[in-house]
Amino acid sequence: MNAADQRPSPDMRVRLGTLELRNPVMTASGTFGSGREFSDFVDLERLGAVVTKGVSMEPWPGNDSPRIAETASGMLNSIGLQNPGVERFVERDLAWLRTLDVPVVVNVSGHSTGEYARVIERIEQAGGADAYEVNISCPNVDAGGMVFGTACGPASEVTRSCRAATQRPLIVKLSPNVTDVVEIAKAVASEGADAVALINTLLGMAIDAESRRPKLARVVGGLSGPAIKPIALRMVWQVAAALDIPVVGMGGITTAEDAVEFMLAGASGVAIGTANFVDPTTTLRVIDGLTTWCRERDVARVADLIGALET
Amino acid sequence: MTGEAHTHPRSHPPVLESTPVVVNDRVAEGIGLLVLDAPLVATHVQPGQFVHLRVAEGTDFILRRPFSVHRVVGGRIEILYQVLGRGTRQMSELEQGDVIDVVGPLGNGWTLPDDASHALLVAGGLGAAPLGMWAERLAERGVAVSVAQGAPYSERLVARELFERVARRVEIATDDGSAGERGFVTGPAERLIRSGEVEVVFACGPERMQQAVANLAAAAGIPCQVSLERLMACGIGACLSCVVSTTEGLKRACVDGPVFDASTIKWESSEVPPKH
Ligand SMILES: Cc1cc2nc3c(=O)[nH]c(=O)nc-3n(C[C@H](O)[C@H](O)[C@H](O)COP(=O)(O)OP(=O)(O)OC[C@H]3O[C@@H](n4cnc5c(N)ncnc54)[C@H](O)[C@@H]3O)c2cc1C
Ligand SMILES: Cc1cc2nc3c(=O)[nH]c(=O)nc-3n(C[C@H](O)[C@H](O)[C@H](O)COP(=O)(O)O)c2cc1C
Ligand code: FES
Repeated sequence: MNAADQRPSPDMRVRLGTLELRNPVMTASGTFGSGREFSDFVDLERLGAVVTKGVSMEPWPGNDSPRIAETASGMLNSIGLQNPGVERFVERDLAWLRTLDVPVVVNVSGHSTGEYARVIERIEQAGGADAYEVNISCPNVDAGGMVFGTACGPASEVTRSCRAATQRPLIVKLSPNVTDVVEIAKAVASEGADAVALINTLLGMAIDAESRRPKLARVVGGLSGPAIKPIALRMVWQVAAALDIPVVGMGGITTAEDAVEFMLAGASGVAIGTANFVDPTTTLRVIDGLTTWCRERDVARVADLIGALET
Repeated sequence: MTGEAHTHPRSHPPVLESTPVVVNDRVAEGIGLLVLDAPLVATHVQPGQFVHLRVAEGTDFILRRPFSVHRVVGGRIEILYQVLGRGTRQMSELEQGDVIDVVGPLGNGWTLPDDASHALLVAGGLGAAPLGMWAERLAERGVAVSVAQGAPYSERLVARELFERVARRVEIATDDGSAGERGFVTGPAERLIRSGEVEVVFACGPERMQQAVANLAAAAGIPCQVSLERLMACGIGACLSCVVSTTEGLKRACVDGPVFDASTIKWESSEVPPKH
C-alpha cells in the first residue's frame, strides 16, 4: 500500500437535480447497449448510472451498412437509433436493469414532439426509470433527432411535453451542431429541464479516395471519440457558466484526467461513450482513477471539482 | 436444416486477456500469422468464434479489430491476417514479447448438424482462417471433410497444409492457375456439392462467394453455414454497427453471428467494401 492509499477516501457522490449518483461516471447512450452487453466486463452496480440506448415508440430499423468508419482519434457512426421499440425495451431491458442496484437513465427518441412524451408515459406506466435523457440531438435520422435540437422553438416544445409526462429528473441532451449552444440550453432549462447533457456527436463525413465513395452508407454520420473532446469541453464550460442546472459532460472521455477536466469545466456528471469500444472496462478505470486522483490531491469531495476551473 | 443446427453449444463468456506475442511471421505476400499466448481464450474458444484485438497499446485512439481464431495450440491462439490498412499494418509490426490485449472468445461459431457425417468446407482467401480449427475438430470427431479452397495465387493458399493433413480431399482454384484449376473456388465447390456426398457446407470468404455457395447448397437441399464480416466497434452486441439482414430481422454479426444459417440471410444487404 502506498502513502496515498492511507488518506481518507473522497466522497464521490454527485447530484443531478434530485438524482443522487454514487459517483459522477455514467455511460453514454448508444455505446453501452442496455448495460447487459457489458456485464461480463463491468460490475454495473459500481457505475454512477447506466444510460440506455435510445428508445422510440415503435421499432426503428436504423440505417444501411456500413454504419461506422474510424477517423483520426475518433469514429463516425450512422447507426440511426435502431431500437426494438418501447414495448420490447420495457419487457426485456428495463425489467432486467431494475433488478440491479444502479440508477437507470432511459434515453428517449422520437419522430415527433408527441412521440417523446408517449415513450416516457409508457415507461412511467411500467414503473418508470430513475431519470430520462431526451435526445434532441441525433444527427443520424431524417425526421426527429437533431431537428428538435438545433432551434430553440422545437427544443422548448419537446422539453415542455416531456416535462408534462414525468415528475422524475429530466435531462435534455444537446447537439453541438448549432451556432449557439447556450441559447438552446437556456431554452430547455426554462421549460423545466432538470439537467442538460452534452455533447452528442458532431456531423461529419469520411471518403474512401480509391473507390471515390463515402465510407458510410448514409454518407454523413456523427463524430465521437477523443477528436471531439476540446469542442465538448468548450461547450460544457459555456453552458455551465450560463445555466443554474447541472450539466452532464461527454465527448472523448477516455481517462480519469479527462473526467476531471470536464468537471472543472462545470460538469456535475460525465459520460463515457466511444472509449468503451476500445476498452470495455473504461468506466471502471475512470471511476477508480478519479477516486485516486482526488485522494492524492486531498480533494475531499469530487463535487468540489465542479466548475473549479481557475481562469 | 435440423433444429439442432441452430442451437449453439453454450459458449463461455468473453474475457479481457493480456497476451504476449509469441510469433508474428509473414506467411505470404501481405499475410501474417500471429501467435498469442492466451490461455484463457484458448481454453474456451470454439471453432468459428473470433477475438477482438487491440492491435497497439498506447494513447493513440484505435478501435479493436476482429479476427477469427484460426487454430489453438496448447494455451496459444493462432491468427491469420491480411494486411489491409492502419490496424493490420500495426499488427504486422508486433514483435515477440510485445503484449496486446484480447477480448474473446466472441460470437457464435460453426455447428455440426446431428446426423452429418461428411462436411464440405469452402474457403475463399482469408476465409480459410476460421475454418482451420473447424477442419481439425471435424476430423477428430470422425466426420469426413472435403475442402474447396481458392485464392488469387498459389502462395496465398493459407492453411493449405492443414487442410491437406485432415481432409479426405482438397480441391483448389486460383485466379492465375498457379495451383489447382484457374478460376473461382465456386467451381470446385459446385462439383463437390453436386457429387451428392457432402451433407453440410461451411463457407467463409468474400460475401459474394458465400452467397454463391449458399445458393448451390440450397439448390442441392444441403444445409449451409456462412461466416459474415461486418465493420465492428464494440464486438459484444452493444453498438449495432455490425448488423446483418436476415429473415428474422436485423441480427448483430458479433453476437448473433458471425456464423449464420445461410438460408436466413437476406443477401442484398451491403457488405464491407471488398478487399484486394
Ligand atoms: C468476425 C470477423 C472475423 C475476421 N477474421 C479475419 C481473419 O481471420 N483474418 C483477416 O485477415 N481478417 C479477418 N477479418 C477482417 C478484419 O477484421 C479486417 O480486415 C481488419 O479489421 C482491417 O483492419 P485495418 O485497420 O487493416 O483496415 P482498415 O484501415 O480498417 O480498412 C482497410 C480496408 O479493409 C476493409 N475492411 C476493414 N474491416 C473489414 C472487415 N471487417 N471485413 C472486410 N474488410 C474490411 C476496409 O473497408 C478498407 O477497405 C474478420 C472480420 C470479422 C468481422
Ligand atoms: C455508436 C454510437 C451510438 C450512439 N447512439 C446514441 C443514442 O442512441 N442516443 C444518444 O443520445 N446518443 C448516442 N450517441 C452519442 C453518445 O452518447 C455521445 O454523446 C457521443 O458519442 C460523445 O461521447 P464519446 O466521444 O465519449 O463517444 C451514440 C454514439 C455512438 C458512437
Ligand atoms: S460490433 Fe457492436 S453490436 Fe456488433
